Amino acid sequence: MAIVAQTSRFSKIAWPIAAWAVGLLFFFPIFWMVLTSFKTDADAVKPEFLFFFTPTLENYLNMTENYDYWRFAANSVICSVFATVFTLFVGIPSAYAMAFNPSRSTKDVLMWMLSTKMLPAAAVLYPMTFITKNFLGIFDTHFLIILVLSLINLPIVVWMLFTYFKEIPKDIIEAGKMDGVNTWGEIREILVPLAWGGIASTALLCFIFCWNEAYWTVRLTTTDAATLSKLIEGNRAPEGLFFGRLSAVSTAAVGPIIVLGWFCQKQLVQGLTFGAVK
Amino acid sequence: MSDRTLPRLLQTPAVVLLLIWMLVPLSMTLYFSFIRYVLNNLRRPEWTTPSLSNWRGFGNYEFVLKSKDFLFAIQNSLFIVCSILILTVILGVLIAVLVNRTFPGRGIVRVLLISPFFVMPAVNGVLWINMLLDPVLGLQGLAVNGLNDLAASLRDAPLIGWFFSLWPEFEPISFRATQTSAYAVIMMVTWQWTPFAVLIFMTSLQSEDQQQKEAAVLDGASTWAQFRFLTVPHLGRPIAIVVMIQAIFHLSLYAEIEIVSRGNGNKNLPYLIGEFANNNIGAASATGIFAVILANIVAIFLLRMIGKTLME
Repeated sequence: MAIVAQTSRFSKIAWPIAAWAVGLLFFFPIFWMVLTSFKTDADAVKPEFLFFFTPTLENYLNMTENYDYWRFAANSVICSVFATVFTLFVGIPSAYAMAFNPSRSTKDVLMWMLSTKMLPAAAVLYPMTFITKNFLGIFDTHFLIILVLSLINLPIVVWMLFTYFKEIPKDIIEAGKMDGVNTWGEIREILVPLAWGGIASTALLCFIFCWNEAYWTVRLTTTDAATLSKLIEGNRAPEGLFFGRLSAVSTAAVGPIIVLGWFCQKQLVQGLTFGAVK
Repeated sequence: MSDRTLPRLLQTPAVVLLLIWMLVPLSMTLYFSFIRYVLNNLRRPEWTTPSLSNWRGFGNYEFVLKSKDFLFAIQNSLFIVCSILILTVILGVLIAVLVNRTFPGRGIVRVLLISPFFVMPAVNGVLWINMLLDPVLGLQGLAVNGLNDLAASLRDAPLIGWFFSLWPEFEPISFRATQTSAYAVIMMVTWQWTPFAVLIFMTSLQSEDQQQKEAAVLDGASTWAQFRFLTVPHLGRPIAIVVMIQAIFHLSLYAEIEIVSRGNGNKNLPYLIGEFANNNIGAASATGIFAVILANIVAIFLLRMIGKTLME
């Protein structure tokens, strides 16, 4: 790659080809999944129908019959939406306090929050099952999944919001105080409208993480609150007899999120690196 | 109440919630790790309820340390995480440099590249192990078969036939054995996280000092020298961040392992804990404490390394 001199004619042609090849290579598994989802289960494993086949919508039409897709999808939507809302509800005031009224311990608190992310979930698996099943009786409920999803994303959300809020000049917030606006008013009427873009992309990212979460949603549910992660995980189908329908349900599970992801890829960098890479 | 008390108090809900979330289950894990506690035991039914009278001291820890699965799970965890880190960083840097130039359709290539990052881990596992890597029905099996058939059909061809008659018959690799399934996990997670590394490195490359680069070109520096002495040092900080964030996520890797490895002996620490937790809660808890210690070692190391840059 780097041996080629920058101005040579060869590199002018080879460079885009190489870049396109890498892009297509990385996208190929997703393309393959979408393609397979339009094949019948029988066609999906036949080499003669690798690329040329009669497309069918059968797998999508039978998704409810085969997998009860919509129930799991509804659970995913409910849990992810409410978890995102709740996380923002707790996270915005917290990030506001840290960004505009920092104390000496703010940095340590932020670092500590991040460190809770590093706590291996598996270490507290059984106590979580025990508390929620025997003690609180909320095992396999939407409430539990929403709470857990909120808590595991709270540190990242606070961090992201904190980096966005830091960019806002303090004077603007202070000016509100002069006008006699109280703290809640400051957040609601000044901060939120100003940081709207940052809050929206934080919410989007939080939603994606909730949707894709695959440890607690699998281990703390059985049927009632089971999300799409649980559905796919439970149908890993080693025999390959159902490639078509498995692809269809997988495509339906990741499609919306990939499209959402395209819209927030720029914010992703700032969010996930906590503003350290610009 | 002073002017700033209320604003400061606003962070308490988040802090308190996280504190409860961290401390309550963890202290229970700690407690369970010191007692005999199993879910099913017909001969000793008193062990099936957690109680201080079943105190076992460090017995669970000894049991875990002596089981041969434990050492293997730790080694395997580190093997998987380190391999993924090395691969994603190297691939990430190369691809970022590749895509950072302007060329026709750059926006589309970027969108194609980032897509794997948003695929949910369970789908990632199912997709790779079945549709791509399956030795018979997956693309791998089909490709190897096709190659063999091609070679066989060319064997009788004039002039070049002898060449293909000396070709070996290719064997598809099964990715469901103990060790190969670890490779499968590395492959699928690398596929998912390389885009993340690319995205971050690319953002960082855009802030690279162009004047410095032009000066280097005027001085006759080769492209390789520019890459080696300007680009790589510039990427130092983003690389540290990519390593940290990925370490956080991959130490608790679960869905992929669960899908690829069920019953074939491949395991990492979270998976081993899950196995113990099917019956022996004491051992599962002790393993959990070991996992916390391991994560803390990594966390302290990483936070020290880049904590300062994050706070600037």
